[in-house]
Amino acid sequence: MALVELVNVQKIYNGTSAPVTALRGVTMSLDEREFVALMGPSGSGKSTLLSIFGAMNPPTAGQVLIDGLDVYGLGVERRADFRREYLGFVFQQLYLVAYLTAAQNVMLPLAAAGVANTRQRAMAAEALDRVGLGDKLARLPRDLSGGEQQRVAIARAIVNRPPLVLADEPTGCLDGNTGRSVMELFLSLRDAGLTIFMVTHDATIAGYADRIVAMKDGALAEATAFVPPVAATAS
Amino acid sequence: MQLRDIAFESLKRRRGRFAFVLAALMLGIGTVVALVSLSRTMQREVGDQLDRFGANIVVTAKSTLLGLGYGGIDLGGVTVDVQDLQVTDAERILTIPNRRNIAAVAPKLIGTTDVGGKQVLLIGVRFEQERRVKSWWEIRGQAAHAPDETILGSEAAAVLGKRAGDTIRLGERPLQIVGVIAPTGSVDDRAMYADLPLVQSVLGRPGVVSLIDVSALCRGCPIGDIVSQIATALPHARVVPIRQAVAAREQAVIQMTHFAYAVSIVVLMVGALVVMTTMMSSVTERTQEIGIVRAVGFRRSHVARLVLLEVLAVSLLGGALGWAAGMAAARLFGRTVAQLTSPVPIEGWLALLAVVLGAVVGVASGLYPAAKAAAMDPTQALRHL
Repeated sequence: MALVELVNVQKIYNGTSAPVTALRGVTMSLDEREFVALMGPSGSGKSTLLSIFGAMNPPTAGQVLIDGLDVYGLGVERRADFRREYLGFVFQQLYLVAYLTAAQNVMLPLAAAGVANTRQRAMAAEALDRVGLGDKLARLPRDLSGGEQQRVAIARAIVNRPPLVLADEPTGCLDGNTGRSVMELFLSLRDAGLTIFMVTHDATIAGYADRIVAMKDGALAEATAFVPPVAATAS
Repeated sequence: MQLRDIAFESLKRRRGRFAFVLAALMLGIGTVVALVSLSRTMQREVGDQLDRFGANIVVTAKSTLLGLGYGGIDLGGVTVDVQDLQVTDAERILTIPNRRNIAAVAPKLIGTTDVGGKQVLLIGVRFEQERRVKSWWEIRGQAAHAPDETILGSEAAAVLGKRAGDTIRLGERPLQIVGVIAPTGSVDDRAMYADLPLVQSVLGRPGVVSLIDVSALCRGCPIGDIVSQIATALPHARVVPIRQAVAAREQAVIQMTHFAYAVSIVVLMVGALVVMTTMMSSVTERTQEIGIVRAVGFRRSHVARLVLLEVLAVSLLGGALGWAAGMAAARLFGRTVAQLTSPVPIEGWLALLAVVLGAVVGVASGLYPAAKAAAMDPTQALRHL
């Protein structure tokens, strides 16, 4: 069953000299519990598509349905609520708040929801434990390694138990081994029931996904089915 | 973790920047507190001094003017039912409810007498009280105190050919001229001032006074109330405030107050401007952080509240510290520069006003930066370097 449906989505930016078409009629869907990777060269429209998925960037035309809800039919403030309840974000630059501890960073979506403090602490501890950082709640980001910081960001993305996680180059700042461990974590989250949509330029990392979607010049290119490297090794 | 916790953590992280905001608010609120405190104390002192500078109420005998006319022809009038004022009436003035507002009561009997073949304006006074209501007198020689002493106005001395140290006879009584009043340009220049009981005896009017000058302190009690109370105590008398004296006092203190408030407003506005520009800089610095929180589900209103919570916390502290600094400055400058005779008092309402004013100015200054932060596009904010 499709959790996400994009129907003929277009995005045109007003450039300084002429309008710039970032997306040209993109139609695609994501099923529940599916791990999809989006690949493409720079300027192909990947980030724009991700921001439209993320209810942060209204399309010029077309429709975005998540769990049957027309996301951009909501008002600005309701869309913020929607992001908090339905979406989790993992960014390349990590984007942890430097002056908050790991647990406090994870609690950010809960603070916006007005969840009681005791419940927040319990949910944050559970999320950090799930990503293997249960003993580092009180650490500041500067006291964590790059891989640990990314795990904190993943914990923040899943603390509210959203059905969909959006990841923009999640291993971009990490070394090979750390990147692979993050991907193993993504796979475990997929197995636990999350839907994951990941943008990456790294074919090896994309290989962890169930499906790869390609983009070029603002449009979807031919999608290819790809055998994950773990399954290939076993066979 | 609630929004206020995030705001508090942010303040701890950016101590230097918010110390700047705190300093601006302290300076603004401190200036307001210092100026208001100083002006209020100066109002009291100046007001009291002006109140003592001459009489501002005159009590005279009440009388009825009976107009005379016949067939449309006005034939003048005659004063009837004149009830003399007594010297005991002066003591009764000091029994009114607002007697603490009475600085001086100076009864006097006015008449004329012959001195060395010349007619002289004779005024019987109580020397100590008269000096209080005539504090501008410059006496060449010394002030009179004893019943056998007298002082002359400058013109009276010239007419009589007398000077300080000479002797003059009033009736059968020799009096020592102890001083001559420097020219005042008033009727005082033509008068001879002697002890009240002696003058009453010479003029054959024992116990009687012509009028009573009253110097009332207007602070804390409107002049109208004092006049009304004296009139109640002396139903046979006519009690009149000297409008010019009261109006001059009020004009002086009003001008002082207006000046203090005008300077205060200017300083507060400058402080508000500093707060706003500093908060704008802070919001710009935190563009990426704003993008993060918006992406994870913070509403625009949450972002605005975050900014306002930070500035409110700093503003409350700035108001409190500004009050303390302002009071310290007021007490120091009051003693050393304004040379006030009494210390600037600590008033609780001003402390509360300072804190509230600090909060209002701070939050008002933070509204624009909060709106700018809330309006940020999260996708653009996340790309901010």
